[in-house]
Parts: sequence; C-alpha cells; structure tokens
Amino acid sequence: MIDPRFSAESGFPGDDRVAAVRPPETTGRQIVVLADADDDAGVEWGRAGIGEVADSRDFASGGVPPETLHDAQATVFAQLGIAVVSADPGQMAVLQSAEAPGRRVLSVSPELVHHVLQDVLDYARAYRDGVDDLAERVLHAHDGNGNGHAATGVRAAPLFADTAQATWGIQAVRADSSSCSGRGIGVAVLDTGFDLEHPDFAGRTVSAMSFVPGERAQDGHGHGTHCIGTSCGPRSPSTGPRYGVAYEADIFVGKVLSDAGSGTDGGILAGIDWAVSNGCPVISMSLGADVMEAHPPYSAAGARALERASLIIAAAGNNADRRNGRMGFVGAPANSPEIMAVGALDQNLEMAYFSARSLAARGGQVDIAGPGYQVLSSWPMPTRYRSISGTSMATPHVAGIAALWAEATGRRGLELWATLCQESERLMMPSVDVGSGLCIAPQ
Amino acid sequence: MTHVSVTVGDDHRESLDGVVQNLRASGLQVDQVLGTLGIVTGSAPDDALDTLRGVEGVASVDAQLTHQLPPPDAPVQ
Repeated sequence: MIDPRFSAESGFPGDDRVAAVRPPETTGRQIVVLADADDDAGVEWGRAGIGEVADSRDFASGGVPPETLHDAQATVFAQLGIAVVSADPGQMAVLQSAEAPGRRVLSVSPELVHHVLQDVLDYARAYRDGVDDLAERVLHAHDGNGNGHAATGVRAAPLFADTAQATWGIQAVRADSSSCSGRGIGVAVLDTGFDLEHPDFAGRTVSAMSFVPGERAQDGHGHGTHCIGTSCGPRSPSTGPRYGVAYEADIFVGKVLSDAGSGTDGGILAGIDWAVSNGCPVISMSLGADVMEAHPPYSAAGARALERASLIIAAAGNNADRRNGRMGFVGAPANSPEIMAVGALDQNLEMAYFSARSLAARGGQVDIAGPGYQVLSSWPMPTRYRSISGTSMATPHVAGIAALWAEATGRRGLELWATLCQESERLMMPSVDVGSGLCIAPQ
Repeated sequence: MTHVSVTVGDDHRESLDGVVQNLRASGLQVDQVLGTLGIVTGSAPDDALDTLRGVEGVASVDAQLTHQLPPPDAPVQ
C-alpha cells in the first residue's frame, strides 16, 4: 500500500532541481573574447560602426566605473582581453570575419544576467535533498555491506566492469578515449622494483635503481610491478585488456621497498632525490606508515620536489574498515601538505571499504580519488597478471593521468596538481573521502 | 642507535657540506647526503639527537619510519 504521506503526488514534484532550467536571461549586449596579442594591436571597432570605446587602461585604478560600462558602445578590459559590446549580430559578424584587420576575435556570446543563487525555496529544497540523501545512506549502511550497496541480491550491475578491451579503471578515468600517452614524461614509481623481463614492457624506456641495500631493482614482491603496470602499462598488451594509463611514458623504477615489502625513510627519500634529479614530473608512491602527524622530511621533500617541477602522488592508506564503521586516517607521507593523497574507489565509484578518510590536520586531506578495487595489472612472471585492491592501486592511476596532463598542457608541479583536481569528476560523496573526485584523463 | 632523517633548512641548502661536517662532528653516522632535497640520512646514538637538532642550519631531526606492505598474496595492498 502506498502511504499518502510519501506519495509522489504530495506536492514535491520529482526532479524539479534538474528540470527547472529556464532559458538564460540576457542583456542584449555581447561579450567578445579577443585573441592573445603580443603587441598592442587593437580591434578596429570603427569598421563595425562602433564609435564610443572605453578601455580599462584609461582609468587610474584599472577599474571601469559602471556608468561608463553602461554608456560606452564597447568597453575593453585590457588585462582580460575581453570586451563588452552593444552591437547587433551584423556588426559582430564584421568584427569576427577572418579578413578583419587588427586583433582577432575568438568568440562572441550574449551577456547573461546573474542573480544571487539561492532563494529561500531553493534552500529548503537543497535541505530536503540533503536529508533524503542522509536517510538513504543510513539505510544502506544498516542493511548493506558497508560499501553502500544493498546486500539483498537486487543490486544493479556495477557502473564499470573489466571488458576484453580495458580494465574498469582504465574506462573510469577515460584513459581509453584520451589522445595522450605520456610520451616524453618521466614517471618514477618508488616501490618494490619491477619485473624487468616482463614481456608487456619489451622495448620501453626503463631506468632502474635500487635503494634497498643488497637487493637489485628486480621485483621480488609483485607490488611494484603492479603499480608500474597501472601507471605506465602498454596500450595493447598481447593478451588481455589494457590496464595501463601512460603507455608511452618513460619509466623510472626506484626500488625503495624490499622483496619482503618493507622500507625505511632513508631509502624512500633517496628514491625521491633520484627521481627529482632525473627530472621526473611525476613521482608515484604507493606506500605509507600509519602515523597521524605529517613527517617533516616528507614535507620538505614534497616542497623541494615541487620547486623542481616534480609532483609527488601518494596513497592515502588502507587503514579504514568502513564495513565496521572505522574510517581510518591519511598516514605519512600522504598527509604532508606538499604531497598529493589518493583515495580508492570501487566499480560503482563509491569508496572502497579500506580507503582512509582525511585526517583533521593541515595537509591531512584526501586530495583526489582513483580506481583501487579489484584492479587488474601486471605481476612478475610467470604469473603475468593479478587483480588486487588498495589505495596503492588507485595511486598509479592518478600518476598515469598526471603524466597525460603533463604531456597535454606542459604544466608541472603545483600547476599540474591544480589541473588534476580541477579536471577531476565530482562525485556525490564527502570531500573528506574523495577530495576533488575521480581523476580524469585529458580528452 | 636510531636511524634518522635530518632536514636542512632552506637558508642552509646552499652550504650543505658545512652542515654535514658539523653533523658528523656531533655524532651522526652519515648514510646519504641528498643534495637535491636538502636532507641527510644516517644514524646516531639516542643521546646525540638533541645535539644534532642544535646544529646550525638543521630544521628537524626525525626518527625514520618503517613502511611495510602486506604479503604478495594479500587481497588488499
């Protein structure tokens, strides 16, 4: 029986938060974006019959008073390379035509009227949505497995699944539709080394160095080979789906964890120093210690790496057990403000149960998230491939994506960090868990 | 003996050799001088750590953390 109090007809129409998109309100003026010009070439406004032109450089403070903006036919904001113009479409066409002399016009768009965003009703609707969302999460957590899914067997197919072409992670970060390959970008993976004989990497540029006393860079564990596979694996492996992001990146193998999987700060810092000295724009570290304080040497190393155009990307940690209500915390080195921290997502783009939550301290936040559950990648021969989970697996997804953005934009260091966050896909989840969301490849 | 990482302050990164010399004189057995990062790793007796912290140009002296991965067959790493 339908409880009338909760019927869909009860006065809260289903999805008006999406449906209430009205055509934008415009002023009748046009916003003109001008091409970058090295010289001071001006737009030949006169050709379009525009006589009264105000230029922001003519006002002492650089600020154009509103009455000028109102009266002038065109107001040019010199610092921005943008003008506000009162003109009809015919006049604009004259300015936009390829033959027009003077500074080129890149785009013309109608000027929009902007309002303060929320009225009281909007606020009430948003509040209701928040409560609904909370109720749903509590109910799920109550009867679910802690991963946010109902455990009753009616669960829908996951958003992503491995296919013959690509792993779910490669699809989720859209590496498979990116035109970038990481070509020419050095990606250092500081881990347990690498299976230097792995057939999937034949012909690749690989530089390897061990910082573990008495051990060669050859991977005697498997973790390092898996992480390098995700960040830098081939576009078309001879068998199985694509599992690697930056398939033409230059691979720097820094062995800082032993075949038994252990390492100390001394070897890890030496590995960072080596990667920075070799000019690697991306340094991936799927390692950590469960300590709640930022560790000063890692903060210094992160800052000094950024100065030298190297971005360190580290795993947030696996110390949560969300199935039992334990959220964990971001450990070292990822909890240093100068080092990017990566959380792990599952195939539904929900938090993996082990993925650590932000630590309530400066730098202790999760910055971004990547695929980190049931991730297929390379493993030392003869096993060749294995599927494992962890923030360790999410981290090289982000590192590979960072290499693609470094290639696509030329950005390094903090600019590259900002680009990764700006371009990530927002998720309906707390920022303390996913940071800016799912990392996404340049398209 | 404690394994330590000595972080050299920004104002002394240009004169790292002098700082390293003073660290040795104060009881640090130097493993590596990481010039790019301005960090010196090594080990020292526990009662020498405060002396190392007092060396001019030293920003911090921290006991090294140990990082341990789960075994290769663990499902979560």
